[in-house]
Amino acid sequence: MNRRRFGAVLTAAAMALTVSACGGDDDAGGSGGEQPYIALVSKGFQHQFWQAVKKGAEQQAAKEGARITFEGPATEADVESQVTMLTNAIAKNPKAIGLAALDSKAAAPMLEDAKSRNIPVIAFDSGVEGDIPVTTASTDNKAAAAEAAKHLSGLLGGKGKVAMVVHDQTSKTGIDRRDGFIDWMKANAPGITLLPPQYGAGDQAKSADITKSIIASNPDVAGIYGANEGSAIGVVKGVEEASKKGIKIVGFDSGKAQIDAIKDGTMAGAITQNPVGIGEQTVAAAMKVIRGEEVPKVIDTGFFWYDKTNIDDPKIAAVLYQ
Amino acid sequence: MTTPTTVAGAVTVSLRDRLQQFLAFASLLVIFIVFSVASPNFLTYGNVLAILYSTVVIGTLALGTTFVIITGGIDLSIGTGMALCAVMSGVMIVNADFPLLLGVLGTILFGGLLGLINGVNVALLKIPPFIATLAMMLVAQGLALVLSHSTPIYFNDIPAYSKISRGNLIPDFPNAVIILAVVAVIAGVLLNKSTLGRYTYSIGSNEDATALSGIDVRKWKIIVYTFAGLFTGLAGLMISARLGSAQPATGTGYELQAIAAVVIGGTSLAGGKGSIVGTVIGALIISVLNNGLQILSIPQEWQNVILGCVILVAVYADMVRKKEA
Amino acid sequence: MAFVDDDPEAASSATLLRAEGVSKSFPGVKALSEVHLDLRRNEVLGLVGENGAGKSTLMKLLSGIYQADEGEFFLNGERFAATSPRHAQELGISIIHQEFNLMPDLTVAQNIFIGREPRVGRFLLSERALNDKAADLIERLQLPLAPRALVGSLTVAKQQMVEIAKALSYDARVLIMDEPTAALNDAEVATLHELIQRFRSPDTGVIYISHRMDELKAISDRITVLRDGQYVATVDTRATTMKEVISLMVGRTLSSEARPEGVREDREVLLSVQGLSTKALLKDVSFDLRKGEILGFAGLMGAGRTEVARAIVGADKTESGTVLLRGKPVQIHSPADAAQYRIGYLSEDRKQYGLLLEQDVNANITISSIGELFSSLGFVKDRAMRVASQRSVESLRIKTPSILQTAKNLSGGNQQKVVIAKWLLKDCDIMIFDEPTRGIDVGAKEEIYALLNSLVDEGKSIIMISSELPEVLRMAHRVVVMSEGRITGTLDAAEATPESVMHYATLRPDENPEDAAELGLETLTQEEGER
Repeated sequence: MNRRRFGAVLTAAAMALTVSACGGDDDAGGSGGEQPYIALVSKGFQHQFWQAVKKGAEQQAAKEGARITFEGPATEADVESQVTMLTNAIAKNPKAIGLAALDSKAAAPMLEDAKSRNIPVIAFDSGVEGDIPVTTASTDNKAAAAEAAKHLSGLLGGKGKVAMVVHDQTSKTGIDRRDGFIDWMKANAPGITLLPPQYGAGDQAKSADITKSIIASNPDVAGIYGANEGSAIGVVKGVEEASKKGIKIVGFDSGKAQIDAIKDGTMAGAITQNPVGIGEQTVAAAMKVIRGEEVPKVIDTGFFWYDKTNIDDPKIAAVLYQ
Repeated sequence: MTTPTTVAGAVTVSLRDRLQQFLAFASLLVIFIVFSVASPNFLTYGNVLAILYSTVVIGTLALGTTFVIITGGIDLSIGTGMALCAVMSGVMIVNADFPLLLGVLGTILFGGLLGLINGVNVALLKIPPFIATLAMMLVAQGLALVLSHSTPIYFNDIPAYSKISRGNLIPDFPNAVIILAVVAVIAGVLLNKSTLGRYTYSIGSNEDATALSGIDVRKWKIIVYTFAGLFTGLAGLMISARLGSAQPATGTGYELQAIAAVVIGGTSLAGGKGSIVGTVIGALIISVLNNGLQILSIPQEWQNVILGCVILVAVYADMVRKKEA
Repeated sequence: MAFVDDDPEAASSATLLRAEGVSKSFPGVKALSEVHLDLRRNEVLGLVGENGAGKSTLMKLLSGIYQADEGEFFLNGERFAATSPRHAQELGISIIHQEFNLMPDLTVAQNIFIGREPRVGRFLLSERALNDKAADLIERLQLPLAPRALVGSLTVAKQQMVEIAKALSYDARVLIMDEPTAALNDAEVATLHELIQRFRSPDTGVIYISHRMDELKAISDRITVLRDGQYVATVDTRATTMKEVISLMVGRTLSSEARPEGVREDREVLLSVQGLSTKALLKDVSFDLRKGEILGFAGLMGAGRTEVARAIVGADKTESGTVLLRGKPVQIHSPADAAQYRIGYLSEDRKQYGLLLEQDVNANITISSIGELFSSLGFVKDRAMRVASQRSVESLRIKTPSILQTAKNLSGGNQQKVVIAKWLLKDCDIMIFDEPTRGIDVGAKEEIYALLNSLVDEGKSIIMISSELPEVLRMAHRVVVMSEGRITGTLDAAEATPESVMHYATLRPDENPEDAAELGLETLTQEEGER
């Protein structure tokens, strides 16, 4: 008994030492160090999109001689976890913070805190409400969604039933990609009937199950839109599992599964953002602000429609990720 | 055989179990009928199949964790553990080019390894199951990301892998559902008729008495958790076969759904009571509800509200039944 | 008094089990100090001692639950040390504990043969073979048990029978019984004694721990006495009076038994129960409790006495009946209501119903009174609680190192005293004691009796449910006898004798028309005859 307890204490002590040793590193880069430190908090690891953003950010940081950390919660539904990460990032006193907010209202108090410490905030991907961020590097999601709607409507000849599988309704991307799609359809395709949007949290299996239910209750559904990587892949799987042919699927972002689906024709096409560009632009803007330079309020990182016809085009290939 | 005269107050096992299972099944039937009446799209072969198919992963997890819960323990690591097992499957089959069969077995056994660690923590180090498996949940979550470099591993080059889930040994019937059925039967037989099952109930009913009766409780607890881990491995296999890829960041929240299925099916979190039939029915109730509410276009926000209420009602009804018995 | 432990020659060849110089300590208490014991072949050895004397500890050492700090054990002349309960069973030492070791969610058969289930192949069990095996055993032992009944649904008495069947199902050479008859009625005790006689043989022996002197007199050959963790003496049962044994146990002589003075008919009726019936058992129970009296409730196991108590304090639902307190009807739907009316119930199964095992003595004693005595503005008065607990421990002579000792570490009898202390602190006017001295040694019993008497002298009224006839006859001013859910007779102290109480306790009005007639009840045959 005693031996066991002693062993446990020893282990705990060793762990504590290790952890504090790791934590110690950060202080070195703080104030007088060579490399400015930028803390980036993304939406998470659930989708490969963020790995691409990370790659772009790391590339830019290497180019400009900055040091970055890149974190995110496990899923894009985990708002609380992200808020904690943001708090911790601020506590490390970085030169600038990059944030892709899951829920901009939840992040607001942290951003106030950052402002009071004179840490500039660069928003990326999802904008944050309010004027605390110095700039926002993101895709114009509403316009991107409208583009998706345009192509889907074109594929359906302007009529038919269309369903939407969206990832969430609290983040700006979720809201914009849904509303952008709906607004375009309402304004430009009166012959299209929109079914109410369904939310699958970006989980592929859940989105697949939801898709099958949609098909079961609307056997005549002609087109389905998946508003992010996980949702879109889920839609593809769901249609496959239901063995339904002829449904036109339009997705968002890339990822190997979506690329394969487009190549073999199960998906009609998708909108890709420029995730590497987002990462680059975020770090670049942060460095500009640190150096005291002006930055525009909004940095549009761009989006593109891609399908089988242009998927191998170098311009497109550059912004796709596997 | 002389029949004793004063059996009056004593309740026999079979009577109570039958009653419990019958009522759980009746509830499922009622929900099913309600949805069938409410929408013509519900009771189609395709949709029923979709319901069964969506039960596979959570159902598999629920079957394994039924054993753990009956011993009075709990396993919070089955969700992320499943993701880790899926990743291991990818690492073995895709990255390391293992032959398919070996990789499949390896995945399931890896799940068993996770369970073994849980069992050792609970039985030997005497860490409360809630804490021990919570820690494992976090470790598994992290390891899944580490081993996969935070990238999904795709099984595109091995089409036979997806066939494990999506193939049709029986025409128009997905393999995954067959696997779930077979595994459920095995679990049921083991729980009712094997020493593993008997000692599972015994430990849950009165751990001290079991130990004093000469049973090596620590050994059997380790076996139970390891056994449950095999199911976690199988679930990892099933979900990655369905999606054609191992998603390292999935699984969070699956453990609570599995536990909900177990509880709705009549297993008590206090231990000592429960059944596989109940768990299967509980898992079906959840997926029928999810599917039916979707088909009726009930706003998704309400689905969780309804599910929570169902759990409350199911557990309460179960308690009332037991008091009267 | 005939001491027989100074005869080593006679001992050696006839010795089956021997313990020498055994010591065992636990944190804070030395339970055994150089104790020895020897059990001869073909003998029933009684083992007595007050609570905390070390009997249970010694038995747990023999049966492998604990390991001794010092000392040696011999079985048939060979040294042994049981390293685990399983090991002890394999050696042939079977123990039946005072507190049961049963799994309530498993059946009788499953409990008896746990760990030894008949199998099909290596892993699968054969339920049919199990039930058959259990049925054979049960029939051989002539116990009223059903193999497939859930142990959790059995009464305390039946559960003990399961324990006995389990112990006897091993090929035991030494059978140790720790207070085996605490929950059995006379008929069941007789069955048990008969079992023991059948078990005796030149190769076997029984150690029988009990507080019941009359049983020891009847069944044991010799009696070993322990006191305060030490060996005192071993005497020949036939040549020693129980009084002598008791004085060895307590180290002092006790005052002779007293009987209560007459009936207190002039006192006001405090509690009046009329027409109480429950769905399960009770039929039209009516009785009065007078101020300052001890009303005994006698009857066989299952007669309904506990059910009456539970119905009065609202622990069980009733179908009909009224309860009048000081002439006014009261609605009692829960024990909390009963406590409001100052009616306290001390249940028979203290481990399940009376005690918070994981809490300390202080918490257990004061728990019911916090609201009234120990709190102000929502805050709890710790010091006052501790003072009150300390006083209770002293006045009831509860053997505990301190009031902060965890309740589950106390011996059975002292746990009982803690529960009594709790209700005494609540200052109830009416107290219902259900088997108040079960598992309590003779010395402590006397203290409880004195306590009960002083309570009624203060004006409190007591209902005492007890299966120990001598206790009921000694303490009660009047005795209510129950059988099969009905009150069959009410006797005052003068009329109450073992025979008369037994007569009423064994009436079966639902089975025998003559009994029904005696009670003035109509039976079916009578009704039909009239039509």
